Amino acid sequence: MRHHVWAVLSRVRELFRRRSRYDVEQDEEFSFHIDMETAENVRRGLSEAEARRAALLRFGGTQRFREETRDARGVVALDNVARDARFAVRRLRRGPAFAVGVIATLGIGIGAAVGVGTIVYDVLLRDLPFANPDRLVRVGFSTEGIGITGDLHSAATFLYFAQSARSFTELGAYSTSDGFAITDGDVPERVTVALMTPSVLTLLGARPMLGQLFEPGDTSWYGPRHSVIISENLWRRRYGADPSIIGREIHFDHGERTVVGVLPRSFGFPMPSVDIFYPAAVPVDAPQITSRYFSVIGRLRDGVSPSAAESELNALIPGLSKHFPEVTPDMLRASRARVTVQLLRDATVASVHAQMVLLGALVAIVLLIAATNVLNLFLLRTERAAREIAIGFSLGASRVALAQRFIVEGIVVGLAAAAVALPGAALAVTTKFGFTEREIPRLHEVSFSVETVALVLGCAVLVGVAVALVAFTRALKFGLIDRHREWTAASSRAWRRAQDGLVAFQIAIALLLLVAAALLGRSFWNLSSANIGFEPRDAVIFQVPLPWGPEGYVSYDKVATFHANLTDRLQRFSGVTSVGIALRLPLASRGAPNLDLQLQPAISAGRPAVPAAANVASAQYFSTMGIPLRAGRSFRSGDLRGAPAVIVSEDLATKLFGTTDVVGRRVKRLRDGAPAMAFTIVGVAGDVHWDRIERGYVPMMYFPLLRDGDGLPPDSNPIQYLPMVLQYAVRGTRLPSATAIQAIVTQLDHRVPAANVRTLRSVVDDATAHVRLTMLLVSIAGAAALLLALIGVYSVVAYAASGRIREFAIRLALGAAPARVCGMILGEGLELVAIGTVAGLCAAVGTTRFLRALLYEVKPTSVAEFGISTAVLVVLALVATLLPARRAARTHPAAVLHGE
Amino acid sequence: MLLLGLGRNAVAKADTNEQVLQGTLDLLILKTLSLAPMHGWGLTNRIEQLSNDALSVGQGSIYPALVRLEQRGWIGTEWRTTENSRRAKYYRLTAAGRRAFGQELASWNRFVSAVGLILAAES
Repeated sequence: MRHHVWAVLSRVRELFRRRSRYDVEQDEEFSFHIDMETAENVRRGLSEAEARRAALLRFGGTQRFREETRDARGVVALDNVARDARFAVRRLRRGPAFAVGVIATLGIGIGAAVGVGTIVYDVLLRDLPFANPDRLVRVGFSTEGIGITGDLHSAATFLYFAQSARSFTELGAYSTSDGFAITDGDVPERVTVALMTPSVLTLLGARPMLGQLFEPGDTSWYGPRHSVIISENLWRRRYGADPSIIGREIHFDHGERTVVGVLPRSFGFPMPSVDIFYPAAVPVDAPQITSRYFSVIGRLRDGVSPSAAESELNALIPGLSKHFPEVTPDMLRASRARVTVQLLRDATVASVHAQMVLLGALVAIVLLIAATNVLNLFLLRTERAAREIAIGFSLGASRVALAQRFIVEGIVVGLAAAAVALPGAALAVTTKFGFTEREIPRLHEVSFSVETVALVLGCAVLVGVAVALVAFTRALKFGLIDRHREWTAASSRAWRRAQDGLVAFQIAIALLLLVAAALLGRSFWNLSSANIGFEPRDAVIFQVPLPWGPEGYVSYDKVATFHANLTDRLQRFSGVTSVGIALRLPLASRGAPNLDLQLQPAISAGRPAVPAAANVASAQYFSTMGIPLRAGRSFRSGDLRGAPAVIVSEDLATKLFGTTDVVGRRVKRLRDGAPAMAFTIVGVAGDVHWDRIERGYVPMMYFPLLRDGDGLPPDSNPIQYLPMVLQYAVRGTRLPSATAIQAIVTQLDHRVPAANVRTLRSVVDDATAHVRLTMLLVSIAGAAALLLALIGVYSVVAYAASGRIREFAIRLALGAAPARVCGMILGEGLELVAIGTVAGLCAAVGTTRFLRALLYEVKPTSVAEFGISTAVLVVLALVATLLPARRAARTHPAAVLHGE
Repeated sequence: MLLLGLGRNAVAKADTNEQVLQGTLDLLILKTLSLAPMHGWGLTNRIEQLSNDALSVGQGSIYPALVRLEQRGWIGTEWRTTENSRRAKYYRLTAAGRRAFGQELASWNRFVSAVGLILAAES
């Protein structure tokens, strides 16, 4: 079978081989042979022709022997390699400690490096999947002087730059929203919508899967076409990949739109979750300059750099005053308006740039540590085999053969490590550690491909061979030295010192990671047992967005009526005990708290207004959520009359009045350019959080959601607040499924979806997810670093001990106690551990402050965590030092000395 | 032991070295060259005297065997001019080959005596 394989391989080789020197020589040799045989035949009496024919016959098939000699040249070389490989495998099997140590270390190091490295590369460095991506930029417009954060444009600035700037071939604007619902078919669905000018699609070079893109005249609100483009995901999910989708009308909660095209999954801009693309309504006739919600991207002209474009646009800013007289030059100056132009790729990943770089650096360090550990282990084993190598050399073994032996061993180890690394790397790249595109942009572009596999194999084999070669250079020294001299003294001082330094470094890193893991663990523990202010079990939550526009719910009364009806229907479901409604649920908001209420006690003498968050709650909200009412009562019928009732949180009550005994007092809400509105406090609710437990409680005022028509004009909005999306919480012993909920909602109004149905518990989990995840990652990294450091300690101490084995043998033979020898080695090892520990502690003290954002009620320099981590590390390192020390102490002096 | 299989002094182990000794041909080549260096044709003549079927597939079969032995480092080659002013490639045993021949012969003899045949040759 094997020969069959070789035969096939050699046929293939022949196809590519040119006539080599060997072939020429072989032919010369053959013809010499045949000529000699012919001459011999002639001497025996045959004619010239017959003699030659007989000679050829006797020779056998010339072509066949030509091939066989060629094969023999190749096959034997390969045979040697196969033999070396088998030998390497046998050696590894006979030394399982070494094999496991080396393969595990290298496997972990490379798996982590390639897995994390792929993610970092795909997110940070790879080009965006558009045509000529290095010409694509994001144009930001910031006005720090007037306190507006972010870099969004208004329609006015976008149009102005689009018309005046010369540096771009095209500019486009877009924004996203998820306040839309598709209402055709049986089940309405909430969708994420991107509104973009048609130029966005052309400048990105988008190609539709079906149909076409927007035309320059398309806008969403004006003009006859009313077109939309849908995503491939939506097309498959909701319309079954129906090819007749083009030209069909889709019903939205605010009207109908015609589908003109389908964009493929690979487009993914601005986010892969966008299902519908609207042409953006940029009002050309009367562009607003104040409301800013457009992100602007552009394609640079050839030869124009981002900084040149930035300069040009900044120079155009003063011209805004001429175009828009309501913006005076003074206002422009005061606002410190500035344009930034950044590569689109960099802008997309700006939020995680620092973390990705840090991650890349960490993973490179881990790989370095793993490689040096493997090198140490290889050197240790080579040292142990020094005697045999020296004997082999003296018997005439060639250096080349030994080198080949080492290299093949390196390849075998590399391949075995690759087998360990591949699942690790695959796991890392496919799960992305549980992160999504929300936390890390461009994550959807990360994929596990053939290149990843090739990278793992390549790295593993490369590192294996490199390590083997370094070990080989050490092994060479054995042959040059008379074996009666001490090959122990062959280890140079510098080499030893470098090894020691590396191990101390590994110990320091391991300690640093352990401390970080301990701090994060404690944080997570604190978070999990923090008081969240409500009862998360046995409840389900979802969102109900009501349609707006001419056919929608335009008044408070209509909204309240709908929700009251829905609450009734839900409560009739068996197993449901109560239903509550609010604008915001605790821990479920996102981003910085929106404290847009300015409140004062009704009787206040010039005290500053207290900012607070606004919320809306139904009467049963507090009991459904398990939020305690510290004083007073919840809402009830009649609360909308007069100064409407409100409920304040404890924190807000204290901030306003200095006490929580505030039931019956009045509070006024200040508004710019309108008279203040007064409200009566009827209850004080327990505090809750906004988005994260770490931020602490947020002062909150709850407005009532009541169906209350007595005496109020039907269209009035008594609290000036008309939220279109409300959150529902349903508590019960048996909870309805998502489809059941949707069915109940659809019965009331077929246009309304019940979105994002999930358990209340999931809100709490999400709020702690980031800490949990970081803690897990750091713990895994810490455990890996600790393992590697322990292996490092063991190998360095064992290496040093094996070098002094003759000295120990003499000491033992002269009567020294084994414990003494053990103690000597232990001492040296401990010195190393001590240095590493001190270095690690210093590093930890200096760097754990960067964890502050993730720590909850734990100081970055908390003594308990530092102490525990140090203790664990030192004890384990002691054990790692003890093993080789005891082994050395148990040397049989006779065996060592007689072996001389 | 690292020593095993190191360099070219492999002590023949039956399980790994079947390819090294392909039948008696390699042994015959080594034996013939142990007496004097020769070129390929001269070798075939001498071997045909010693064994009937070592070269039964054809005289040319000696050349692959020679290449294998050369790759192993047991024989060395040198181009020389013969009496007739022709160029020919001469083969000779190397020191390693000489040692190997001794060991191969020893193990071959063990094998042969175990099977009950006698190889008539000078050693």
